[in-house]
Amino acid sequence: MLCLRSLAPLIAVGFFSPVPALRAAPPPDAAGFFEKKVRPILAERCLVCHGPDKQKGGLRLDSRAAVLAGGERGAAVVPGKPEESSLVRAVRHGDELKMPPKDKLPDAEIAALAEWVRLGAPWPDSQVQANPTPKTGDRPFTPEEKAFWAFQPVRRSDPPRVKAAAWCRTPIDHFVLAKLEAAGFTPALEADKLTLLRRVTFDLTGLLPTPGEVDAFLADTSPNAWEKVVDQLLASPAYGEKWGRRWLDVARYADSNGMDENLAHANAWRYRDWVIRSFNGDMPYDRFVREQIAGDLIPGGTDRDRADRLTATGFLVVGPKMLAEDDPVKMRMDIIDEQVDTIGQAVLGLTLGCARCHDHKFDPVRTADYYGLAGIFYSTKTMRSYGVVAQWHERSVATPEQAAALAAHEKVVAAAKAVAAARQRPALDAVAGAAVGTADRTRLQNQVAKLEKARPPAAETMAVEDDKGQNVRVHLRGNHLTLGAEAPRRFPRIIAGDAPPSLGADRSGRLEFAEWVTRPDHPLTPRVMANRIWAGHFGAGLVRSPDNFGRLGERPTHPELLDWLADEFVRAKWSVKHLHRVIVNSAVYRMSSSAERGGRSAESRTTIFGLSVPRSAFRDPRLLDPENKLLSHFNRRRLDAEEVRDAMLATAGLLDRTAGGTLLTVGNRQYVTVHRNYEGYASTRRSVYLPVVRSAVFDVLQTLDFPDPSVPNGQRPTTTVPTQALLMLNSALADQTAGAFAKSLLAPGGDDAGRVREAYRRAYGRAPTTLEVEKVTAYLEKSERAADPKSSPEVRRLKAWRGFCRVLLASNEFVFVE
Amino acid sequence: MRHLPHRRDLLRTSALGFGWLALADLLAAAEPAPRLSSDPLAPRPAHFPAKAKRVIFLFMHGGPSQVDTFDYKPKLTADDGKPLPFPKPRVVSSQTGNLLRSPWAFKQYGQGGAWVSDLFPNLAKCVDDLCFVKSTHGSNSRHGGALLELHTGSDTFVRPSMGSWVTYGLGTENRDLPGYITICPTLTHGGVNNYSSAFMPAVYQATPLGNAGTPSDRVGVPFVAGTTPRDQQRLELDLLAELDRERVTTHGHDAALESRIQSFEMAFRMQSTAPTVQDLSKETDETKKLYGLDDPATANFGRQCLMARRFAEVGVRFVQCTHSYKWDQHENLKADHGKNAREVDKPIAGLLTDLKRRGLLKDTLVLWAGEFGRTPVAQGKDGRDHNPHAFTVFLAGGGVKPGISYGATDDYGYYAVENKVHVHDLHATMLHLLGLDHTKLTYRHAGRDFRLTDVHGEVVKAILS
Repeated sequence: MLCLRSLAPLIAVGFFSPVPALRAAPPPDAAGFFEKKVRPILAERCLVCHGPDKQKGGLRLDSRAAVLAGGERGAAVVPGKPEESSLVRAVRHGDELKMPPKDKLPDAEIAALAEWVRLGAPWPDSQVQANPTPKTGDRPFTPEEKAFWAFQPVRRSDPPRVKAAAWCRTPIDHFVLAKLEAAGFTPALEADKLTLLRRVTFDLTGLLPTPGEVDAFLADTSPNAWEKVVDQLLASPAYGEKWGRRWLDVARYADSNGMDENLAHANAWRYRDWVIRSFNGDMPYDRFVREQIAGDLIPGGTDRDRADRLTATGFLVVGPKMLAEDDPVKMRMDIIDEQVDTIGQAVLGLTLGCARCHDHKFDPVRTADYYGLAGIFYSTKTMRSYGVVAQWHERSVATPEQAAALAAHEKVVAAAKAVAAARQRPALDAVAGAAVGTADRTRLQNQVAKLEKARPPAAETMAVEDDKGQNVRVHLRGNHLTLGAEAPRRFPRIIAGDAPPSLGADRSGRLEFAEWVTRPDHPLTPRVMANRIWAGHFGAGLVRSPDNFGRLGERPTHPELLDWLADEFVRAKWSVKHLHRVIVNSAVYRMSSSAERGGRSAESRTTIFGLSVPRSAFRDPRLLDPENKLLSHFNRRRLDAEEVRDAMLATAGLLDRTAGGTLLTVGNRQYVTVHRNYEGYASTRRSVYLPVVRSAVFDVLQTLDFPDPSVPNGQRPTTTVPTQALLMLNSALADQTAGAFAKSLLAPGGDDAGRVREAYRRAYGRAPTTLEVEKVTAYLEKSERAADPKSSPEVRRLKAWRGFCRVLLASNEFVFVE
Repeated sequence: MRHLPHRRDLLRTSALGFGWLALADLLAAAEPAPRLSSDPLAPRPAHFPAKAKRVIFLFMHGGPSQVDTFDYKPKLTADDGKPLPFPKPRVVSSQTGNLLRSPWAFKQYGQGGAWVSDLFPNLAKCVDDLCFVKSTHGSNSRHGGALLELHTGSDTFVRPSMGSWVTYGLGTENRDLPGYITICPTLTHGGVNNYSSAFMPAVYQATPLGNAGTPSDRVGVPFVAGTTPRDQQRLELDLLAELDRERVTTHGHDAALESRIQSFEMAFRMQSTAPTVQDLSKETDETKKLYGLDDPATANFGRQCLMARRFAEVGVRFVQCTHSYKWDQHENLKADHGKNAREVDKPIAGLLTDLKRRGLLKDTLVLWAGEFGRTPVAQGKDGRDHNPHAFTVFLAGGGVKPGISYGATDDYGYYAVENKVHVHDLHATMLHLLGLDHTKLTYRHAGRDFRLTDVHGEVVKAILS
């Protein structure tokens, strides 16, 4: 169940080494020595963990054969050679491995064990056994492992037959309806047009429809009105801002390192903007993934293309790192681990990181697979240096013009420095015959400093570079101090098969890996992404653990539909936008979120727990399928953090739609804290452009369940807590947006009823009911009356309206998508 | 609850009704998964009966020196200036020289005769309530790694903090306040990750009151203070509840909509409750003095400690006070350790005394710890380097054996050697004291069941009362 990744005092003993075949006859008193001095130590101190009941580290110490066979790391004793015997080294507590782990043995006992080994480890009544077999490594796969659903090829099946075929608009509907019919459910009614527009606009762009968009759609009675709206939304730059952000969750994107040394990633925004651009341009997903893993190794294209592909590899660099780790070897392996783990979850839906310390406990991923991949990233330069504080790698993406400008500037600076330096030397002054005063020198120095400050930014991007290709050795229990056999670079064998790719010393193998991951027949990559896109529309994936398609993940609720989508995705040349269209055009997507079916009012009723309940309710999906896995209705969802903030700003007329660039105010690799970057959060740009500072995430977003940007996250949780309510009531954002909203309502002429109608139109896209107008009017009167009588009528009025606007922005109707 | 629709109204207006949905929820609750569906912070029973109900963690950021505070080493004094007679660790954070004696004298206190240096004259009077663990050790020699390991159990990956685990395991007893509060937390060395819930839902994250840069009299629950007068806000909330309720009647009941309506009422109450609990003005002068509020040197941390008591009193599950990054004496050991100790000595003694006389100490676990200790060998002339291989922490109250010292270091206090207690063991013990089995308190994420102690941790039974 548990992850054994972090390292503790280690358990097993020694490396795997051949056991000497010959055994010298022990001296006559050896048996006595063993019985008197050694056996009691083993029995008392060791056998609890390394005996018949437990074999920690696979090691037993209750027979000579077992001692020589050793555990996962080979022999515990090399007869005659105490210094080479890990048992002796371990009890001396001199190495990484310390046994017993808590309390060191008394010196006399340590000496006795060493002496026993020196004597050839005599053990009178013990048998010699054959060489041990390793207990980890490349175990063959079991039939069950091979048969696991996620590793089977994607199979497109025909949409199943359904009774209510007229309901279906697309093949998707057949797959969903077939399951609903089998359960005796009927799908919910189609949602009304306004609900649909709000839903699809938030889903595709993260924004709410403007009143104009609402009017246009409601007025459009043409048969393809829906398709037209969908096309418009997909063509909007806001689409990439919404869906790019979804990928950034998975890519654990951040503008600072977080962890121990929270240094600014001042160039990370280039990667973020590349992601947004890629979604907007409908970059085929296979290429999108290939460029993030190996963009630096893909040839061709313009300078801009090459710069973009370098930037894409920022995916490998933006992870959190312990930059002040005193042990550089550990730091390096931890960074590689973070990369392998992220790629595994983000692209393959596999928790590859589990295989760092041991074969994956649940999925057919062996340590040899893990270190096969680790070797690829070991052969990749992610870091510039590993010394404390370590530096991640960056590469130039300057255009020739930028590079030339920078070079020119450097020349000017160098010249100015030379002049200043010359003037510093009195001898030279004398030679020149010019008396240069101190003031003059200071002026010169200031000028140099100014010039240096005016240096054009060196356009750099967080990126990797290929290094010499080399394999790494398996790290026993994940520990870099206890190395096992070499693990040739390769891809996970359960999918890639037994023939390893040939990856020489001339390259890392990253490009080959990227190509393998994006093969059209890959069983995981298309399924995982199709599932993410589905989840983005329905609130949950067909596989409800989008980052884990392994044995501990969820099984698909609709496996045939998942395969159909994955196949459709690849056939459409991995077009993400195509998959959006296919999904939102379905009848399933257009269902109402109300689970109530029509036509049940006249049915017979029964009484349960004192409540009168229609009999048909026993077939009600809300009861029988409370998580709505069968999709009998649409899942109502709360807006995510960015959507709430963006919608508040947009309704207030404050949203700045400028795209791209950075709002971080800290220099590259400078320390960031809440204080030093806070002004960035006051911006009214879309939330996706606000800096994501690890360890100091913008509190507005964090309160609304923005995920921890240090870990890949394909499924945000939605919580409801009082601090969110406090945010809607008291935050600067609420004040700012409600205030601006109120002012804009009060500006034009007209009556208050008209203003209330306008407010509803902007916030909800609909007119208020008579009852609602009454309630709001009553509130406004009460609020003005209750206000401080000393303040002016205008102020009281504005405050009352601001309160009303705050209510609209805080309401369920505003923050939920039906 | 006065703004919620009446149950009967709901039954009339919704085809199936509230009660029916409640039944559906009940039936759904029989399934293991949707634990978080309704109220993730509702109080939950522990795994087994326990003495501690809550935790107050006093964190000394920077790494107080064990050999200058509680781990008395006469041989270090005797061998001052001599080389360390055994090897230094393989990985160190700085270069160090020879043995350096403590500049402070040690005396024995209390019935148990606990050794305390002159740094802590007030705490010395409380030693019969304390349980010193002198063999604590961790894995990381840098502040960031060590802080994260102490707070989250991992110095390698982002993991939920111990307060998150406790709140996840037990919920909270006071729904008008956050369940997990950290006062003036550090922004560096892992910052928020030291109190975040990582992959758990954000409700289990600590609510920070200010940060290391905020004086403790100017901290508060985020967003709790606004610009709208209370009576105006009441009107706004009434309108909001009416409109939301209207929506429920037209669009049908939904637990998510319902709980969001309730959360506004809870927030309204929190606005009064949180500042009231934080308001120290009603405390007697004697109490204020007890915590050192009358002395500029001790007032800042004193207020943190007094707030912690007040939060503990009203049922907050986990409160952390941080004496911010001050204890890192690579140099100036004598002056700065002296200053630091002075700032916390009286407040901590005050807190312990106050908890005890109010009967709160018996079910409140107090933990005092830094992220690591310091080397008995000198860095420069008057400094000590980081030392994760041995440090002293103390626990008090909530089921801990009082007046004892557990574990030991070598002759100089460099390595823990006897009854070693790793940070994982400390975590396991803390959870045990709260009635939680650290091997069973798991959270499934990315297909794996995570624990605070990962695969490690043993409850230190010898310190349980």
